[in-house]
Amino acid sequence: MGEVNMEELLNCALCPNICRCECPVLQVSGREAVAPSGKARLAAMLQQNQLNWDEQVLEAVSNCLGCRGCTIYCPFAELSLCDELLNTRLTARASGVKLAVTDPYISNLRSYGSPYGQKNWSSAAGEKGAEVLYFAGCTSQANHPSAVESARNLLDKAGLSFQMIEEDCCGYPAEVWGDQELARQLAAENRRKIIESGASTLVTNCPECWLTFTNRYPLWGEELPLEVIDGPTYFLKLMKNGYLKPGKSKFKKVSYHDPCIWARAAKKVDQPREILSLIPGLSVEEPLSYGECTRCCGGGSMFQLSFPEKAAAVAKRRLGEFPDQATILTACPFCREGLLQEGRQVFELIELLDSVCE
Amino acid sequence: MAEPIRTTLQEGSVKQAVIDQYADDVSPIIGVDNVSSNHIDLLSTCRDYWPVNSIWMLEGAVPALPQLVIWPQTTEEVSRVLALAHERRIPVVPYGEGSGALGGVVPLRGGIMVDLKRMNRIRNLDQENLLVTVECGLNGAIYEEQLNRSGYTGGHFPQSLRCSTVGGWLACRAAGQFSTRYGKIEDMAVSTEAVLADGTIFRGRSVPRTSTGPRVDQFFIGSEGTLGIITAATLRIWPLPEKRHLASYTFDQLADGLEAIRLFMRAGARPAVVRLYDGQETGNHFPELGDQRSVLILLIEGAAKIVHAEAEVIEQYVLDHGAVDTGPEHVEHWLETRFNISAASRLLQKGAVLDTIEVTTNWHNAHSTYLAMQEALNGVEGTMLASGHWSHVYPEGAALYITVVGFPGDDKITYYKKFWQAAMAACLAEGAAISHHHGIGLHRGQWMGAEHGQGLEVLRRIKNALDPQGIMNPGKLGLREVSKWEK
Repeated sequence: MGEVNMEELLNCALCPNICRCECPVLQVSGREAVAPSGKARLAAMLQQNQLNWDEQVLEAVSNCLGCRGCTIYCPFAELSLCDELLNTRLTARASGVKLAVTDPYISNLRSYGSPYGQKNWSSAAGEKGAEVLYFAGCTSQANHPSAVESARNLLDKAGLSFQMIEEDCCGYPAEVWGDQELARQLAAENRRKIIESGASTLVTNCPECWLTFTNRYPLWGEELPLEVIDGPTYFLKLMKNGYLKPGKSKFKKVSYHDPCIWARAAKKVDQPREILSLIPGLSVEEPLSYGECTRCCGGGSMFQLSFPEKAAAVAKRRLGEFPDQATILTACPFCREGLLQEGRQVFELIELLDSVCE
Repeated sequence: MAEPIRTTLQEGSVKQAVIDQYADDVSPIIGVDNVSSNHIDLLSTCRDYWPVNSIWMLEGAVPALPQLVIWPQTTEEVSRVLALAHERRIPVVPYGEGSGALGGVVPLRGGIMVDLKRMNRIRNLDQENLLVTVECGLNGAIYEEQLNRSGYTGGHFPQSLRCSTVGGWLACRAAGQFSTRYGKIEDMAVSTEAVLADGTIFRGRSVPRTSTGPRVDQFFIGSEGTLGIITAATLRIWPLPEKRHLASYTFDQLADGLEAIRLFMRAGARPAVVRLYDGQETGNHFPELGDQRSVLILLIEGAAKIVHAEAEVIEQYVLDHGAVDTGPEHVEHWLETRFNISAASRLLQKGAVLDTIEVTTNWHNAHSTYLAMQEALNGVEGTMLASGHWSHVYPEGAALYITVVGFPGDDKITYYKKFWQAAMAACLAEGAAISHHHGIGLHRGQWMGAEHGQGLEVLRRIKNALDPQGIMNPGKLGLREVSKWEK
């Protein structure tokens, strides 16, 4: 469990928050308790024993999408409010407080290794011992299996041998819901399988999986002894090295939605655009906010399960930033899921690539 | 177990049964999800950015607690919830984003906090007449962003742009950093829509000017929630500027800088940004310039030919007063850092007491007011810094903005009161006005009599006529004494 950094938490709590305009949950709810400094104050009061844990407090400090939008204008370079809130939430269970709404999903994670109430269908597939291991993630498998198929097709088209494993959830949902013990169990199981695979490179299209593998696993003592690479960077490399040769796209105008984690945690904003630039005849138009200043789709921190109405409201707000008529592309299963409303066409980048590569 | 939260200024509260009944009655009007007596909502709306609130927060206290928070979404909803509060004599405090600097939202007598952030629509963009009608709860940065998408600017950039609402700007009579060209919020507001304490809805007319008696719209601007709730306004907008010109100059003598500004304003130049820093602030904000000279920051924007002509006129006056041209890069630095207020959080945690005090001077007393306030503040034991700059300039004067930092030891509140007393006494003795754009709130009310003379009585009579039950934001704007604070 990470330690709460009181000095940084108080920096936020004492600040009028020039980040407020970039906090999606505040902007859709209008509630002070979920403003960045509102949450920071509650967290600070908990730490200073001025407030007791209860479900209302936990719900407020859980109202963070983990999108890091608040970092765009944050004057405190060392502050990561989403991490401070995460560390705060991790202390709730010890006080016997949990969010009832997440109980069924936690239970699913224990039973199936996925929050979605079914076992992941990925299995020990592909060529055993292959250097590349493709990790699909629970959300793609449950909600958007065609994206996983596209990734597999692309690897086949590139002529590369790869393998998959019988995946458990990476552990991210369990941790954001405050059950780090379960998150660690899932991590240990994944790590064991990944090591057994003998792969030297793990590719994942899910930003939350990537963040958990690279950021949380080392903290939990489950560091992965192989290279973990994000989907956009990996497939761009395949294109640049001539393994994938894109032809003309059926879409005329596209607009790329930067997933928050790729953009702000991984700083992967050029790779997707470079991929698009290598597809002939594609017209690309940016949404109102993009790159490292992107705005959340509402899917961060598992909001689509724990706070679905708020997730939808955040997504709707974000959709208003895209040019009319443009097909929306993204590189995250949560973003695709969130933005699929109001009749908009939304695809993952790998689906577009699969459709244009022979 | 945590101890109950200590309140420092709570004057009273409404019987819980009355609040509970009110909650039951407004729930069908605005939706049960938009009515809360949840302790986290009460805690989250009970304060603003008044530094005293921050000191108390570090001590585990809050100024006062409301008993209910509600989130109406339409003007009609605001009307109905106010009418009910009026009927039952329940205090009401409007809440935006809590960036006020003087305790203006502290719910001294408990009651209802009306959080207006769900009223966040742009109702109409009138490109022909260069007007926008916007609701009160819209965040300032998002307001500007929406205008920019259509090729316009609102021209209003307070330091709180990203953490304040349009309604907050109007309620405290705010000024933005580009105000010398675009005007202050009262210049931008062509009309207002407001709900009175009894639920009456007033809607002004969006015509350029009238000769039809006093403009009722203007009553509400600067009323800080004491006369009603501003629910929307029609504001002037401008096409995005064609050209922006940045320039900075340093002066050996602060007084020379002031005189150069006076003269170029007299000549008719209207740069958007004019900021003249004293040596201490020059050294703090632009360390490469040292702390021996005063830097003048200028930003001119608009049609290219006009910008070019203004730059020429201004340069003539500043060079005639011994200025040294220091180029555009210091303005670029200011543009990048102008919203950064991180120092306050850090200093407060180190035990500092700090504040900013903005007053309005004419040209004849601009320099003497600065010297007098600085001397007064340095005369209070514990003061470590009393620096200043001028901004928001006019042909007849300018806003003087003083920053105070002190390390008084344990009795922080006493020190805070002492340095404010010293600063306000010096300001009034020089004939300056006690506030330029932060407003009055709770704290500065004690000097409203000295500021207004009989004008305060006029304000009180207007207040009594519009809010006979006295429910609207009690204890603010100096309309009555707040004995727990002022004694």
